[in-house]
Amino acid sequence: MQVYLPIAEMSVDALLLLGIGFGVGWLSGLFGVGGGFLLTPLLILIGIPAPVAVASGANQTLGASVSGLIAQWRRGNVDPRMGLVLLAGGFVGSALGVQLFAWLRRQGQVDLAVAVFYVVVLGSVGGLMVRESVRAILRRRRRGTAPARLHAHLWMHGLPFKLRFRKSRLYISVIPPLLIGLMIGVLSAVMGVGGGFMLVPAMIYLLGMPTAVVIGTSLFQVVFVAANVTLLQAVSTGSVDIVLTLLLLVGGVAGAQFGASMGTRLRGEETRFLLGLLVLGVALSLLWGLVATPDSLFAIGPIPS
Amino acid sequence: MALLLAALLLPDGPAPAQPLPLPPPPPAPPQQPAQARPPLVAELSQTRVEISTGFSGTDVLVFGATERLLGPGGDDILVVAQSPPEPMVVRRRVNVLGFWINGPSARFRQVPGFYLLTGTRPLRELLSEEERAAKRLGLDNLPLASTGVQDPAYHEALLRLKQDAMLWHEEDEAIQISGARLFRARLPLPATVATGDFRVEVLLVRDGRVMARQELGFRVERVGAAARIADVAEQDPVIYGLACILLAALAGWLGSVLFRRG
Repeated sequence: MQVYLPIAEMSVDALLLLGIGFGVGWLSGLFGVGGGFLLTPLLILIGIPAPVAVASGANQTLGASVSGLIAQWRRGNVDPRMGLVLLAGGFVGSALGVQLFAWLRRQGQVDLAVAVFYVVVLGSVGGLMVRESVRAILRRRRRGTAPARLHAHLWMHGLPFKLRFRKSRLYISVIPPLLIGLMIGVLSAVMGVGGGFMLVPAMIYLLGMPTAVVIGTSLFQVVFVAANVTLLQAVSTGSVDIVLTLLLLVGGVAGAQFGASMGTRLRGEETRFLLGLLVLGVALSLLWGLVATPDSLFAIGPIPS
Repeated sequence: MALLLAALLLPDGPAPAQPLPLPPPPPAPPQQPAQARPPLVAELSQTRVEISTGFSGTDVLVFGATERLLGPGGDDILVVAQSPPEPMVVRRRVNVLGFWINGPSARFRQVPGFYLLTGTRPLRELLSEEERAAKRLGLDNLPLASTGVQDPAYHEALLRLKQDAMLWHEEDEAIQISGARLFRARLPLPATVATGDFRVEVLLVRDGRVMARQELGFRVERVGAAARIADVAEQDPVIYGLACILLAALAGWLGSVLFRRG
């Protein structure tokens, strides 16, 4: 069944979009991330123009994360104070990111920039996750129990403007979470992702937050930053396609429920290992797209205003 | 669909613009008024193409009749259809440190989004090269002036990529003739067709010269929900953006509620 996307100005198979939404939703439910990092490349792969894929991907991530946020909030797994600090950075970062995106579009380098961002970010995050989770699994096998240490004390915990985050059982400077929020905001705007796949490890390894509140708090940040990106993209590039978003969401919400029920049966390290592999896989396939000789040495496109 | 419909209608004499008296000669198509006898009468199957939410491309049919006989030894017909020109950029991909990136570019100010030329015979057999160039007929004679890098390779790439995208056609499919007087050409509009006013020219060619021409046109426009969404997004981007946020949040929330109960 073909459906016409009014902003992308093309018609695509609605079932294909529902299927992509379901698959990505399933994975996002399984791993507790928004899944935007899978969605945007898939949309570009089926021929959606990169600007529309990025802007609508952010919009979809917002919708897909809302139900997760509500569920986590009910269970008390959100640290609102940490969420707000991250969000403050996220708003600034996404505003900068949208400007950067509009500039790249004028330069004719959006596709390249999106792909490079994906390869670098996903490659490093995926690599780190795989390495860390393999270590954790090996350690558990050897000793039988995981180490009881809450988190590593790094140099950044010595910074000023300390704040007490009760839910996270942390007393740290606000500068690291602000910077992390800012970076995620930029990535969110350029890559069309919520940034959960980066935020979750950053919260665990850099901030040292307990795993229980990490997913809820990251969803908190993701929902509001994605909302900000949606609005800014709609205004500055006009490339949010609501029909595309809603079709993806219908599939995604259904898929997420199946994924979530399956995710509870997996251990933390194994989940992180699988997620890391998935992230690495996406990065490698995009890298291949950058280095493989293109079919045509030329590309045509409209001249952006 | 449109093709079938028009094909069925055609022998019975569909609706050319003027109301017509009945024709005296029985084998002749009924389009010819008794006295005037224009050398060429052409019409389109539709003057409006509506892009609604379910749009997946469509066919517009150009059909008509001639006074003299068509086909081998007789007159020939050329049909040229194009959409309003728009600016386009052609970029060359260059390899930098193993990565393929967009390099130098040529900007073409006036590129028709859609172009189709077809005839009862190949264009080359109908008109001389000078005639084709003067009348700007055929893909090779499209007026494509560019700024930026001046290299014929960009021009060729534009031609090739547009044809690959099924947006530009030259004689992919010949005009069909029936009864030596009726002709019919199909304009296949893909799902990605641009909106705007399309121009269709029908030329009657005899002995290497254009004897008569008729200009027709149709409009491609978005209608219904697709049109409203695009309008709001363009005119009130803030409201549109807020609506997208609310709709996405609502859809996500509704979905979770539904699935929890089920």
